[in-house]
Amino acid sequence: MAIKTILIIEDDRFIGEMYVRSLRKAGYDVDWMIDGNDGLVAARNKPYDALLLDVMLPERRGSDILQSLRGNGEDMIPNTKVVVLTNFEQDAESRLAMQQNADAYLIKADITPRKLLEILKNLET
Amino acid sequence: MAIKSKQPAPIPMVKDYIPALRRSMLMAVILPGVIVSIACALILLATHALPADNIAVWIIALVAGILSSGGSMLIFVHATLPMNDLLRAVAHVSGEPLVGAVPNPHDKKYEKNGLGTAIQVIYSLDSAKEPAAIQPSSKKTETAVASIDRMHGAVIALNPSRTIIYASKSAPLHTVEGALRPQLLFNGSDSLDAWLDECEAASVKAERHWRRIPDRPSDQEEQRIFDIYASYEKNSSHETVLTLIDMTEEYRADEEDLNFIAFAAHELRGPITVIRGYLDVLQDELSDVLADDQKELFYRLSVSANRLSSYVNNILNASRYDRRHLNLTLIAENLADIYATIADDMALRASSQNRFLTVTIPSNLPKIAADRASLSEVIGNIIDNAVKYSNEGGTVIVSAALHGDFVEISVEDHGIGMPPNVTKNLFQKFYRSHRSRETVAGSGIGLYISKAIMESHGGMISVRSVDGEGSTFTISVPTYASVAEKLTHDGSNQQLISEGKGWIKNHSMYRG
Repeated sequence: MAIKTILIIEDDRFIGEMYVRSLRKAGYDVDWMIDGNDGLVAARNKPYDALLLDVMLPERRGSDILQSLRGNGEDMIPNTKVVVLTNFEQDAESRLAMQQNADAYLIKADITPRKLLEILKNLET
Repeated sequence: MAIKSKQPAPIPMVKDYIPALRRSMLMAVILPGVIVSIACALILLATHALPADNIAVWIIALVAGILSSGGSMLIFVHATLPMNDLLRAVAHVSGEPLVGAVPNPHDKKYEKNGLGTAIQVIYSLDSAKEPAAIQPSSKKTETAVASIDRMHGAVIALNPSRTIIYASKSAPLHTVEGALRPQLLFNGSDSLDAWLDECEAASVKAERHWRRIPDRPSDQEEQRIFDIYASYEKNSSHETVLTLIDMTEEYRADEEDLNFIAFAAHELRGPITVIRGYLDVLQDELSDVLADDQKELFYRLSVSANRLSSYVNNILNASRYDRRHLNLTLIAENLADIYATIADDMALRASSQNRFLTVTIPSNLPKIAADRASLSEVIGNIIDNAVKYSNEGGTVIVSAALHGDFVEISVEDHGIGMPPNVTKNLFQKFYRSHRSRETVAGSGIGLYISKAIMESHGGMISVRSVDGEGSTFTISVPTYASVAEKLTHDGSNQQLISEGKGWIKNHSMYRG
């Protein structure tokens, strides 16, 4: 399934803008939310092809958002690829919990926008 | 006919030696004195040195004789007493009836000169026979118990059937299937019971300790964390004695440090993300307008930002490792896939410093049990070192091969190499050779954490080096097939894979 629409939930302005810029240049349709609550609402209201999710977010943490969307035995976003993008080194349990509900889990500092595009391409197949 | 009843031969007794001892000591102490005195007197008389007709001389001689005999008697008593008591203690332990009190090891004079310890040792040879009279008074027992109860920790004693026979007041205990047991959360199979199984099978006496063992999960407020020292003595009535030192405060401070480091890393990684990201974007977008030397500057910026990112990862891992929080997720991975995640970085690092990097990873290698992020950090660290410590224009060769149950990855350089005294310290934290301190930037943390990560994989890292000719670092990672069984789910998703450090828990997420 081709990825066309992407929701980014990211509170760091520089990082958010950087991803938005690269993804739009690459032809994706991108929405960007800064706080966790708005992000969760957006993810519920519109079926995105991919969700780029930060962990340390104001109002609601990324782990909570993922839990609300995919935990509790029900997948509210079955057609969305979820990529957790964080610079926060979570404890193993929290990380594992997120990994199990995500399609990829990456450290932002370890990748560049170009790498991110590659990863999204790989998720399509 | 009268039958003469035969008396049974008397059983030789230890206490029978006591009179003999007295006699021989008496002879040894007094007789020489008497002989010497008589000899002296005879000589004096024979040489007419003394006026034999003077009554005063005889009186003085008599007094001197009495005094010296008295002195000798005192010496005799003093010299025989300890021996006497030791013999009486031996006689007592051997079950012979004794007249009078048995020697008391807690007697003040014995505690002072140390003989009490010897008597105690004799009694401990058969502790059951220690009479009530010589046990520490009940007051002493009370004091001892009160003191143990006040210590910052606890003492637990187990008998050979592992039942608790003593536990101090603050000992962490809970009831399991109706029986009181120590409440301690050991890491996986590295538990007290496992150790006791080992001891029962193979040891008479054994000791070991565990660090950082909590009594309950960290989300419970009352949690205490102990360092535990265990002492095992086969078939003693208190076969296993556990001394638990409450280290909660110390370790909690550690946890706070760890949180600080995690937050600091988060703050550092933010700007690194932006720098790396835009450098990458700009290099791409400006590739047509940049002159070659300007491109080179961009490469250097990228390499520097990448290294910064790796260094943050190393610090995070090292601080976790030191606090026993390094958790790896070992899953079936292709080495080639793992290398692919760092291939661009490595190529850039080598080329920006004029090194030729050749990487040969055979496509038919079996899958390995690896934590992708950690293993790629290790490979990154040793390639980074090879680049740093090789010469301008040098070659760094990365290769991989299957050896038994392990996939070995080697990184070979033809750089400055190391003498043997350097290689043996190489994997210590913050170790830097004198020479490298002067010539190459670095902190000495990379190889330390690399070793920790490899051991946590159940693999290893090693180095061969010839001073002036270059080094080859080799890491080995177990194939997934060889450890798959150990990694099987147990429902809680927690498995211990590494025996090396015992405490490394593996949170396994199996896909392959």
